[in-house]
Amino acid sequence: MAIIRGREKKGGGEIFTASMADIVFLLIVFFVLTYNTEVDRTKVTLPKTLVRSEIDKKAAVISVSSPEDRNGPEVTRVSTGEEMSLPVGTKEEIITFASTVVAQDPNKQFVIKADHGVHYQKIDDILDALKQSKVKVIYLLSDQKTVGGK
Amino acid sequence: MPILKLKKREIESEIFTGSMADISFLLIIYFMVTSVFSATRGLDFALPEDNNDTPEIKQEDSIDILVQPGGDILLDKNPMPKAELEERLLPYIADKLAQNKKKPVILRTDPQATYGDMIFVFDILRTPEDQGGIKIDTISIPTQREIENIWTMLGVTS
Repeated sequence: MAIIRGREKKGGGEIFTASMADIVFLLIVFFVLTYNTEVDRTKVTLPKTLVRSEIDKKAAVISVSSPEDRNGPEVTRVSTGEEMSLPVGTKEEIITFASTVVAQDPNKQFVIKADHGVHYQKIDDILDALKQSKVKVIYLLSDQKTVGGK
Repeated sequence: MPILKLKKREIESEIFTGSMADISFLLIIYFMVTSVFSATRGLDFALPEDNNDTPEIKQEDSIDILVQPGGDILLDKNPMPKAELEERLLPYIADKLAQNKKKPVILRTDPQATYGDMIFVFDILRTPEDQGGIKIDTISIPTQREIENIWTMLGVTS
């Protein structure tokens, strides 16, 4: 018996992509809105705390990183919160920087972003410089400590 | 004379959108790579306003904490190891504040101690009441220069 082979019907397989543009634009809008330029990219291991409060995104930043070889000097950088951070060498330079920022905005918040291993002497110098510059609110940047965690 | 109507040729007008998806994905990749979810939380403390009517605090009117290298503390000159701080520090302060709730806590730190040691103690002091903490009206963090000024005013040589 002869088998009659019918002409195979081509399957019209198609992925519906019309909504892809919508999804992509939604993602773009999300990233545009949440986009942050990080003014200070100093890598530090922050101390961990249970208590943490929100810091103004435009706050001025003073970062202190531990030296890689442990015996070298700590590196301090300052940023107004709007410009990229610059290294500073002495306490007087921090006072000059903070005074200038406070003169422009007396309510400017300052954030100390320091490695948990730096000697307190360095933090003491920064706190003293900020107090002398009449800074009103200081934040100590920290990571979240989990209950029972180290 | 009959007028011949010519059939108008339709011009296909279409904006080519084929490359839009490519551009969009490039933008997404750019924002994903460059955006940072930076840490924007931490411990806050407000510095006292600069006024002339600052109350004078006598040493016996305050609770004195000195953070030592290694994380142990001297609490009113009595040693307390770091491992026991979470259990013993707040009950001690609560007991003192029960007598005078306006007693300030002075947090001093040895220059050779680490920043992490100081933050460890400060975090315990700032524990919210709903998490087992106590309400402390004033936590003072004097700098080395301020401490030396006080010693000089009191005529104490360190």
